Amino acid sequence: MSNTVRVQPDLNFVKELQAVGGESLKKCYQCATCSVVCPLSPDDSPYPRKEMVWAQWGLKDRLLNDIDIWLCHNCGTCSDLCPRGAKPGDLLAALRNMAYRNLAKPSAIGKWMSSSKFIPLLMAIPAAIYLIIWFIRAAVLKDAFPLNADGNVVYGLLFPGDYTIDPVFSLAFLFMVCAFVSGTRALLKSFEGMPKTYILGRKEQPGLIRCLVETIKYEVARHTQFQDCGQEPQDVKRFQGHLLVFYAFVALLVVTGVVASGHWFGGWFLGGVLGLEDPFTKLLSWAGHTPMPLWSPVKLLANAGAAALIIGLVFLTKRRLNLDKAKQGSSWYDWYLLTVIWAVALTGVGSEFLRLVNAKYLAYPTYFLHLIAVFMLLAYLPWSKLGHLVYRTVALAYARKIGRIPMQPKG
Amino acid sequence: MSNNSILVVGGGFAGITAALEAAEIGHEVFIVEKNPYLGGRVAQLNKYFPKLCPPSCGLEIQFQRIKNNPKVKFFTLAEVLSVSGSPGDFTVKIKLSPRYVNERCTACGECEKAASTLVENEFEFGLVKRKAAYRTHLFAFPMRYTLDAAKCGADELRRIKDSCPYDAIDLDDAEKTIELNVGSIVLATGWKPYDVAKLGELGGGKLANVITNMQMERLASPSGPTNGKILRPSDNKAPRKIAFVQCAGSRDQNHLNYCSYICCMASLKQLSYIREQNPDALVVVYYIDLRTPGRYEAFKRRATDDKKLLLVKGKVAKIVEDAGTGDPTVTVENAVTGIRSEERFDLVVLATGMQPSIAGRDVPAGVSLDEDGFIISGMDKGFIAAGCAKLPLDVMKTAQSGTGAALKAIQTVVGR
Repeated sequence: MSNTVRVQPDLNFVKELQAVGGESLKKCYQCATCSVVCPLSPDDSPYPRKEMVWAQWGLKDRLLNDIDIWLCHNCGTCSDLCPRGAKPGDLLAALRNMAYRNLAKPSAIGKWMSSSKFIPLLMAIPAAIYLIIWFIRAAVLKDAFPLNADGNVVYGLLFPGDYTIDPVFSLAFLFMVCAFVSGTRALLKSFEGMPKTYILGRKEQPGLIRCLVETIKYEVARHTQFQDCGQEPQDVKRFQGHLLVFYAFVALLVVTGVVASGHWFGGWFLGGVLGLEDPFTKLLSWAGHTPMPLWSPVKLLANAGAAALIIGLVFLTKRRLNLDKAKQGSSWYDWYLLTVIWAVALTGVGSEFLRLVNAKYLAYPTYFLHLIAVFMLLAYLPWSKLGHLVYRTVALAYARKIGRIPMQPKG
Repeated sequence: MSNNSILVVGGGFAGITAALEAAEIGHEVFIVEKNPYLGGRVAQLNKYFPKLCPPSCGLEIQFQRIKNNPKVKFFTLAEVLSVSGSPGDFTVKIKLSPRYVNERCTACGECEKAASTLVENEFEFGLVKRKAAYRTHLFAFPMRYTLDAAKCGADELRRIKDSCPYDAIDLDDAEKTIELNVGSIVLATGWKPYDVAKLGELGGGKLANVITNMQMERLASPSGPTNGKILRPSDNKAPRKIAFVQCAGSRDQNHLNYCSYICCMASLKQLSYIREQNPDALVVVYYIDLRTPGRYEAFKRRATDDKKLLLVKGKVAKIVEDAGTGDPTVTVENAVTGIRSEERFDLVVLATGMQPSIAGRDVPAGVSLDEDGFIISGMDKGFIAAGCAKLPLDVMKTAQSGTGAALKAIQTVVGR
């Protein structure tokens, strides 16, 4: 052969990969069934056959810089039809898990998020913050389970939003954004070595922003890739479940946005600082005032979001529980994310219900748990499987830019 | 009282060989064969390894040895019902299905002309139908017709009976059960082609121009449905672009989890059938590993020295049919270039593997199977496996295995 390559296998990397969910990769004998049956893989250097041989050879650089791991949406068709049970789908999932672990700084959190043994530590951080607040407020109010003048449970009594919720979560949000900036930078840097596809009729490479817009239009908003990923009934359920969960989060994000802008911009800035009393200011600050009446459109949207979240979670959890373990495994990353979202949903709905029935001894602890769950979802997001929200979106946009996937999906 | 007779289950190449080797030493041997003929899968081949002989070449001498040796008795259309006893003293119950044709038959074929009912032709792997009165192939042994009486009406049966100039049709023939006493049992039950209906991604046996390697043997055989002309089933045109799909359902834990040993070489053998008829046809062999067991490396070298042959590393995982032309299109990733493509062919041959014939059937108590369903010999229990019932083999190794089984069978009954 004229273009021989000296393979420098990184054996530790192979072991590391096997540990994070690619344990059966050594069974692969390179028949290429996987890359043929994959419904999403491009014709030129299709995945996941090449990733399997790179993994066996310990070609760490190629795998860590491989954009294709983000093109895969993990339907598991490759693993179902794999003649050796080598689970190529699990390998790609394991590589994504490695990316969650290593991309964003500080990398200590990546390590903590990679194994169940660190979960007490991860829980302890938000738990300590809100337990201290609970103690202080209980001391101030001389009641650990306070009621307002009308005798109702009001979470703001124990955890005043302006001083204990908004600052903590704003900081957590900022922390998450900074982590994503570092992670996305690392991701884009890793793609620099990707080959560019020459496309006939395409004059110059489109800009990343334009690609990002197209990605959000198709893959994010309409789940186009996800919809094509696997044709079995359980794949359809997975697509529906993911879409429901996604739009539930969008709805809850809108609710949070309305509350934040209503409270801070409408109530505090327009009403308080500027002292305006026009109907718009009043409406805005009303919309941002919590707790809201049940008929408020914002509350209705929040409740609809919660319902969609739970239905979507049921679809996704059921499918994951029914996976044939001989074909497709579930990693700690999969279970962490599902569990945390379940915890957010159940404690959220539970807090609302227990507040309405005024069961103070149950309501406050449930709300406390809700705060912990939301913190864990938000603050550690770049190191969790939910990191795909940003990384996959960026990778798909970049794949458009270099011509790895078409600008507009077929059909 | 010890019995030194030997029962051989299966009258294919392994069974015949084991029976003859034992009989020629002086043991009484019974062959039980479920088909109406002896010769097994070899009889269905066009040519066989290692020297690419036609089946008549090896089988005729075996049939002569059987005819000339009074120690060999064989039963066709026969199946073992039960086995009891122990090594040295087995009692075997055998069911004999009626043939409805007696030994006066000269194979003149008048009954076949008189018959009208058409039934599935297992010998030709469904490529054509056959009459209810039939001879599986020209070279059948015993050379005698068979009648599927259950498939015909009373009128047709009467016409068939009346057509026979030798009074060889015996409509009163009936199922019988006989008992044999033997000392040891050779299991040479052979193999069957893996069921393509299970290979959904490869068309599941529903695409007309996607055939199996055994169907290819019949198409190429001078005694086959096309008199040896390789024509594709949908329109009887000579194919000019042919693909071989290796490991179709083999080395696959979802199907047969093992390598069937000879399929790679069989496809190269079938390349020679194509070359004899069409030197310009383009042939592509898609493989995972092109395996040359034993001494076949030289054969491979000769066969692959062919300008119109492409060997592509990559397993075909999808075949669809063009509705208009019936051309099959295969999808495959060339694992060397890393390019996935769809290629259109006139004919696709699935190199399916060997599944033990006993798969899905009851085996006598005391017979154990390995994880893939092949028989494990148990000399202490009086059972000896031979040929492809034991593991996938070519004909040469099958003969060796039959001889070895004969020796073990003799050792089991002698000196008790």
